Amino acid sequence: MTLRWNMTFLLLMLVIPFFHPFTLPARASGDILPDTPFEQILEQARGTQVQWYMYGGWTHVNTWVDTFVAKEMKQRYDIHVKRVPMDAGVFINKLLNEKAAGKTTGTIDLLWINGENFKNAKETGLLFGPFAGHLPHVRQYVNPDSITHDFGFPVDGFEAPFGRAQFVFEYDTDRTDTVPDTVAALKQWIMDNPGQFTYPQPPDFTGSAFIRHIFYAVTGGHGQYMAGWDPDLYEKNAPLLWDWLNQIKPFLWQKGRTYPRDSAFLDTLFARGEVAFSMSYHPPHAQNMIMEGSYPDTVRTFALKDGAIFNTHFTAIAFNAPNKAGAMVLADFLMSVDAQVSKFQPENWGDFPVLDLNRLSASDRQRFETVDLGPATLTPDQLAAVAVPEIPAQYLEALEQDWKTHVLGP
Amino acid sequence: MFWAPSRTAILILKLSPLILPFVVLFCGGVFLTVCQSLGIFTPLPHTGGILAAYGVILSDPSFLGSFGFSLGVALVSAAASVAAGTFLAYRVWQLPKALAGAALVYKIPLILPHIAVAFVVLIFWSRSGILSSLAWHLGLIQSMPDFPNVLYSGWGLGMILAYTLKGTPFAMLLILALLVRFDVRQIQTAAMLGASKRRIFFSIVLPRLAPAMHTSFIILFLYSFGAFDIPYILSESRPGMLSLNVYNLYFKHDLARRPEAMAILTLMLFFAVVFIIAYSRTVTRLENGVRKL
Repeated sequence: MTLRWNMTFLLLMLVIPFFHPFTLPARASGDILPDTPFEQILEQARGTQVQWYMYGGWTHVNTWVDTFVAKEMKQRYDIHVKRVPMDAGVFINKLLNEKAAGKTTGTIDLLWINGENFKNAKETGLLFGPFAGHLPHVRQYVNPDSITHDFGFPVDGFEAPFGRAQFVFEYDTDRTDTVPDTVAALKQWIMDNPGQFTYPQPPDFTGSAFIRHIFYAVTGGHGQYMAGWDPDLYEKNAPLLWDWLNQIKPFLWQKGRTYPRDSAFLDTLFARGEVAFSMSYHPPHAQNMIMEGSYPDTVRTFALKDGAIFNTHFTAIAFNAPNKAGAMVLADFLMSVDAQVSKFQPENWGDFPVLDLNRLSASDRQRFETVDLGPATLTPDQLAAVAVPEIPAQYLEALEQDWKTHVLGP
Repeated sequence: MFWAPSRTAILILKLSPLILPFVVLFCGGVFLTVCQSLGIFTPLPHTGGILAAYGVILSDPSFLGSFGFSLGVALVSAAASVAAGTFLAYRVWQLPKALAGAALVYKIPLILPHIAVAFVVLIFWSRSGILSSLAWHLGLIQSMPDFPNVLYSGWGLGMILAYTLKGTPFAMLLILALLVRFDVRQIQTAAMLGASKRRIFFSIVLPRLAPAMHTSFIILFLYSFGAFDIPYILSESRPGMLSLNVYNLYFKHDLARRPEAMAILTLMLFFAVVFIIAYSRTVTRLENGVRKL
């Protein structure tokens, strides 16, 4: 039976590299240390290429990166920016596989990452850092208190801020005269207008954010959750959310038997007139859709008085990034006044700045204040008035999971 | 050399272009999936026992719901595809020679990717789709909600439509391959002896086609049981298709839940193997029974 034994041996030899353990040291420092002086990093990055992996589903954002960012980076630092469209969940898996295979030089330099995936990535040692504190623009313009946590998970300098987003609802003034302004009024509206409302099915990002709003509102506000995961508190409060959602369920689109799979699906239902509201985690989304011609000019946004969740979004560097210096220069450039102003303009993207406007010179502040957000976007002041922070990631995970059991049903 | 080159060894060596990718990619992948479902080689340190993920999955009523639903969609669409494919293939085979070329049109859905077929179904059957507007223009319905709720009815009709659209030409392809070698004289003889068309089809043609029908049924059934693209466009929330559950668990949830996704995949693979064995055994037994008669 040598043959069989040899075949087994051969099989193991072939398969073992796939499982090269996840027990390697969590942090690979690579060719450059995060605390190298920035001038030296700039020098090292000159003439290189940076692979930026980011969500590719928004044409206008892609265009902004391919034109403005790429052009400025080339001019200022002689760095070639290559945008690679990929969902965060997918590139985290790619990095996990590379790490498992012991690949110390990967293909990903900079990542545009979201809070849930950041927690995963940092816990599994997929990120390089801490580097954010060494970026001049972050040091100069950002209030450090505003970027300590990403979905309740400590950032510790493993991510550089990039932009700010906040949750809004969208409606068409032609079809809907008055919109509900509180969670209680929303419930009444839904019951008065059967079939006209729905929300994307968690774990979709937007749908999940919608149920967190309700969770805050029906359980007495966000403050109690900020200290971190408390299973007893969750057990006590979650049933209130399920009650609320189950009460509106018979009045939803398709009587709540099915939900839109993601926010794009909801946008389509809204644009076709099947439902009266859409929702987005991006305040300028409605304005973008109007400019694109997908929504009529009469669409406007609103937020509920009970609170509108905001978050800061971040970029991070892969543990095995071949060009860490270039990635740091790009992350820093994205935090410059020029980049943040350009990103703020709705024709480019409309993403809200993450800079602390009080730290800017009067003329720089002016540049932000004069940006015309368009009639469909709420002003930063209106949004700031209702802003509430994101919930820690463990709550989010529990809510998404239990929504299936308690609201969707088997 | 590890071993003296025996005949088996040479045979294996010659087959290596086939075996190597199979062993490395397929078996390696299955092995890793099973390991991760047991909490070994997981991205995050696994807490709980070796069967913890299976415990979570099997005690979740929504898993059983999804399993039954996936099973139903796959069975109905595969059965419909094979039935329609057999009937159409037989008719195409009977067509006069002049029309045989034109009949090749049946191959078009074969070229279309599944996702495109899903969109075709979506565009035609959604409540604001082509059929709905047509019905409205003809005065058959008064408003959008009057159009039957095909796509999100809770029965998976949208997916069944799409799979049947894709599966029928596939079944036709396999069945036509058998039909071209079929001896027409058998039918002529039966007809001369007074057999009805019905009788000819069920007693002479169908038994000949049975092998191709069984093969296409197994392939189509298992494909729609596990495929992702059509459910991604047309699936309903409740109960969802298993493949979408796996996708959500794998990509959209915490990494700590990776073993659950892998456990579902392992159970699906296990079910597929059991299904193939059970199906072929049943078919053999049935056919033996027929011959004894």
